[in-house]
Amino acid sequence: MSTILLKDVCKSWGRVQALSQINFECEDGKILVLLGPSGCGKSTTLRLIAGLELPTSGKIEIGGMDVSNLPPVKRKISMVFQNYALFPHLSVAENILFGLKARRVPKIDQKKRLKNAADLLGLTDLLERRPAQLSGGQRQRVALGRSIVAQVSVCLMDEPLSNLDAKLRQEMRQEIRTLQQRLKMTMIYVTHDQVEAMTIADKIILMKDGGIEQHGTPEELYNRPATAFTGSFIGNPPMNILTLDTQITERFSALLPSRESLGSLSMGIRPENIEISADSGIEAQIEAIEYLGADTLIVCRSGEQAITLTVKGKATLSPGDPLNLMWKPEHIHLFDTKSGKRIPDFPGEIRP
Amino acid sequence: MKFWESGIEKTIETGGAWLLGAVWLLPVVFAFWSAFHPAEFSTSFDLFAPLTTENFVRAWSYAPFPRYLLNTFVLVTLILAAQFVLCTLAAYGFARFEFFGKNVVFALVLLQLMIMPEVLLVENYRTISNLGLLDTIPAIGLPYMASAFGIFLLRQAFKTIPNELVEAAQVEGVSSIGILWKVYVPLARSTYIAYGLVSVSYHWNNFLWPLVITSSVNSRPLTVGLAIFGAPESGVDWSIITAATVMTMAPLLVAFILFQRQFVQSFMHSGIK
Repeated sequence: MSTILLKDVCKSWGRVQALSQINFECEDGKILVLLGPSGCGKSTTLRLIAGLELPTSGKIEIGGMDVSNLPPVKRKISMVFQNYALFPHLSVAENILFGLKARRVPKIDQKKRLKNAADLLGLTDLLERRPAQLSGGQRQRVALGRSIVAQVSVCLMDEPLSNLDAKLRQEMRQEIRTLQQRLKMTMIYVTHDQVEAMTIADKIILMKDGGIEQHGTPEELYNRPATAFTGSFIGNPPMNILTLDTQITERFSALLPSRESLGSLSMGIRPENIEISADSGIEAQIEAIEYLGADTLIVCRSGEQAITLTVKGKATLSPGDPLNLMWKPEHIHLFDTKSGKRIPDFPGEIRP
Repeated sequence: MKFWESGIEKTIETGGAWLLGAVWLLPVVFAFWSAFHPAEFSTSFDLFAPLTTENFVRAWSYAPFPRYLLNTFVLVTLILAAQFVLCTLAAYGFARFEFFGKNVVFALVLLQLMIMPEVLLVENYRTISNLGLLDTIPAIGLPYMASAFGIFLLRQAFKTIPNELVEAAQVEGVSSIGILWKVYVPLARSTYIAYGLVSVSYHWNNFLWPLVITSSVNSRPLTVGLAIFGAPESGVDWSIITAATVMTMAPLLVAFILFQRQFVQSFMHSGIK
């Protein structure tokens, strides 16, 4: 089995604390996505699992074996890098077989594995080319090929698709997912793109400033974000995090907890859950309209804050028009303004 | 007004370049002229003078040039091989490893760059003498084998290789030496070629140190052999001397013509990055 377990892992360089108290488990045969903004520690975590860095403290286990101090080759992992890390002086076939040659795998095995990988990834006609003669997507496939021939059950990916254009990214995403399920690999995938994370992951770990914000399935992160940060990171366009001004407090007074604590709360509402109401609602004025084809993004201003909403199709409105906004109680998320943590169980919160 | 001015500048520039080129080329042209013409015509530029190869035949027999050629060839190859091995290992250490006192050691290496080897002539002679290696080909090469220039050049080349490639190799289970041999050396190939050309041409033409350290035909390289051959005691016969000179520089000239692009690139690259 190849379950990956991190226990109380910390990493610091001098006085800079890159990771603090990281604890999680990735189940065998599942894709776990490490998601987060730049500098949150997701790549560092991946490199610790790979063995390219050693943890300052804590334990890392792969398949039940303590690998915290082992070099990468002894951990039985394979890795795909952001810039593919293909050797420019070797052909595609030699690139794929690089590791097998280094580990002195018998030639017959090498040939077999190469053929398998090439067939799987559609590289059979490209085996004699050099990386410089390949397109971005083809290079990515070669990097995947190198990872497949290693025939290990753990695959680590560090933002493998961030150098590709949007359409190619979507295709490769599906290919990676199919490949992972076919080969039953345990995969840890690092990305800063929440769309990638939502589509590819079995579970997502959202990280921020060296710590874990939330660990759960994509649905959990989307419907019940544990912090305001999670709420605004997942979902495109991002969730509106609103302060409770007089208008909002008046509208939703029945649903909010008691008066005294109101100053310390923020309300989260997703743009797709906001509706335009004909008469009653939060008064706002349109600042900008962005037409996306299937939806239209409307940015309005209500009092001191900006609210974004989406409507289907094309909106027959223009900047400067007044609007009335309304949303249902079940779509409200309440957060503590200071800590960002979700307020559970407030009156009016309807459990889905 | 502007158009006229730029015309004048361009003319002066081009004219100056041609003039400089001509001045540089003149000694070589004279050498070739004098080598291929009999003695009487060596100092006059009579265009219809008869061509002859007799000078080469005579020069070849007057001094053991075959032996000198062999010595030079062995010397240059020996130095280049030693430099490749030593400088590669040193450059790898400086480029990719952290160790106590690294900066001090590197400063010492750079120090060598600033010292002209001629300054150390006497001291080196003493060392070679103590080693019992006087008048041997290795003795000519020893002071140059751990070349600071080579270490510096290769270190810069190694540093430009992206870390990701090294990490990919590490994940595949390649050892440190394996990474050097399979990743760094192949990717620094153009630097090796450029450095090789510089080293070969420098040591082919090196004169003072070989003159001091060698005293017999057994180890004498071409440069020293030629100088002794052309010494004024035997009279100044320009056609024979230039014939010998042409023989000495011919291999290098051919190599330069074949590799001139890499040659120029090596000087450019040593400054960049």
